[in-house]
Amino acid sequence: MSVDIKGLAARLDEAALNAEAIPQLALEVELISAQAYEIQAAIIARRLGRGEKRNGMKMGLTSRAKALQMGVEDVIWGRITDAMVVEEGAAVSMSKYVHPRVEPEIAFLLKHPLPVGATALEAQNAIAAVAPAIEIIDSRYKDFKFSLGDVIADNTSASGLVIGPWNSAIEDISNLGVAMSINGAVRQVGTTAAILGHPIRSLVAAADLSGRAGETLEEGWIVMAGGATAAEALSVGDHIVVEVQGLGRAAFKIEA
Amino acid sequence: MSGDKEKIEALAKRLREAEASGVACAPLRDDMPEGDLEFAYEVQNANTRHYLGVGRRATGRKVGLTAKTVQDQLGVDQPDFGILYADLCIGDGEEVAMSRVMQPKVEAEVALVLEHDLTMENPTVAEVISATAYALPAIEIVCSRIANWDIRIQDTIADNASLGLYVLGGPKRKLEDLDLRLCGMVMENGGDQVSVGAGLACLGNPLNAAAWLAAKMVEIGMPMRAGDTIMTGSLGAMAPVKPGSVVEARINGLGSVRAVFGPEES
Repeated sequence: MSVDIKGLAARLDEAALNAEAIPQLALEVELISAQAYEIQAAIIARRLGRGEKRNGMKMGLTSRAKALQMGVEDVIWGRITDAMVVEEGAAVSMSKYVHPRVEPEIAFLLKHPLPVGATALEAQNAIAAVAPAIEIIDSRYKDFKFSLGDVIADNTSASGLVIGPWNSAIEDISNLGVAMSINGAVRQVGTTAAILGHPIRSLVAAADLSGRAGETLEEGWIVMAGGATAAEALSVGDHIVVEVQGLGRAAFKIEA
Repeated sequence: MSGDKEKIEALAKRLREAEASGVACAPLRDDMPEGDLEFAYEVQNANTRHYLGVGRRATGRKVGLTAKTVQDQLGVDQPDFGILYADLCIGDGEEVAMSRVMQPKVEAEVALVLEHDLTMENPTVAEVISATAYALPAIEIVCSRIANWDIRIQDTIADNASLGLYVLGGPKRKLEDLDLRLCGMVMENGGDQVSVGAGLACLGNPLNAAAWLAAKMVEIGMPMRAGDTIMTGSLGAMAPVKPGSVVEARINGLGSVRAVFGPEES
């Protein structure tokens, strides 16, 4: 079946620009993963055309529990641009988003490219620094409901990222405690072990997925490893803090 | 009052018989004054008196219901406690015969071992820290003598806070070397992740749970003593186990510990 890649990309891109939810694409067209990734790439092409700069990628469904909940076996991925970076400690306007949620993560900064087939050791050696991070996810679909094809096309709900201090002396990151608080109340508790059993596996998978799409992970790119816990919905006035054992914290605020 | 006493003894006996026979019993709550937690503790105390009377050696206490989510499920706003006995302590990786556990589940915890008594009124967190000799990684094997885990708050309190066995790992670590609040916890069963969490899932910090327990024990006239072990409470969701399960819990900075379950028994 032929799919109007550009048309669907425009629809999702405009939904994000206007911060307005749209109906699921799945209601009119059943996308296979390859088509959904084409739509995602087309959205990013539109944004790069508007002057945004590509600076990394994000992994999704990296928690086994979350993948099972979605009924899928594989991780998914999205593209990150400089326009998505929210300054750590800043206040962001709710008007930028449809129905934002936050997830606690860790972020990798690469000191050299990481090609397809990289081993865990090579991935480890490509890391310049690790930081505590918050991903702001914001599905462009009504009620945050979507099929696998829908969410891939929608850049895996990626919307913003808040990055805490970069730690260049990297020790064992396999089981760092993670806490996410909103307005001082702890809402999610977990560990980096929830990210594919060990977050380095997420970086290895990122190298494969991005490389196979013809976009080898580059020096200076940020890779968001995936959520360490379930996501939490946000309201105006919320102050979000993510703490990761030994890495520090990342925080931001949502204002009207 | 004497009617209460008989009732308490009868309920305590029901739990002991379930334990001895391996056949779980009906819930106890319908035979207790509704919502009366003191009454439920009286049932627990009756069994504590009984077991100490027949020569079992107490080795400390456990704190239960330390997760906000579990408290909400059971409709309470505070933890509960149970008693530990020497014969319930299992070594790291030592096989547990299935006949020793009833409807077992596992939880990863921080165990604290005291080097000083905590007899002062309302011990503070600072006093708990000063009294602690060291911490160990631990797995609590929770069990229920109540059929199908059909428990409400009164049932679990009466049933020694659903304690089964406790597994202690090592080596011992000093509190000053640990971040008990943000330490990551992952538990695997046969290599599959079954529970994740961190220190602060336990009342914000396992030390808070220990301080709550210490104060409670002074209040009831059975203070924590030097040498006692405190099982401070779960760092994540509890997970079911089966015959042959091999469970490993890792607590970042504290180390790892294994609970190994024997084969199915006829």
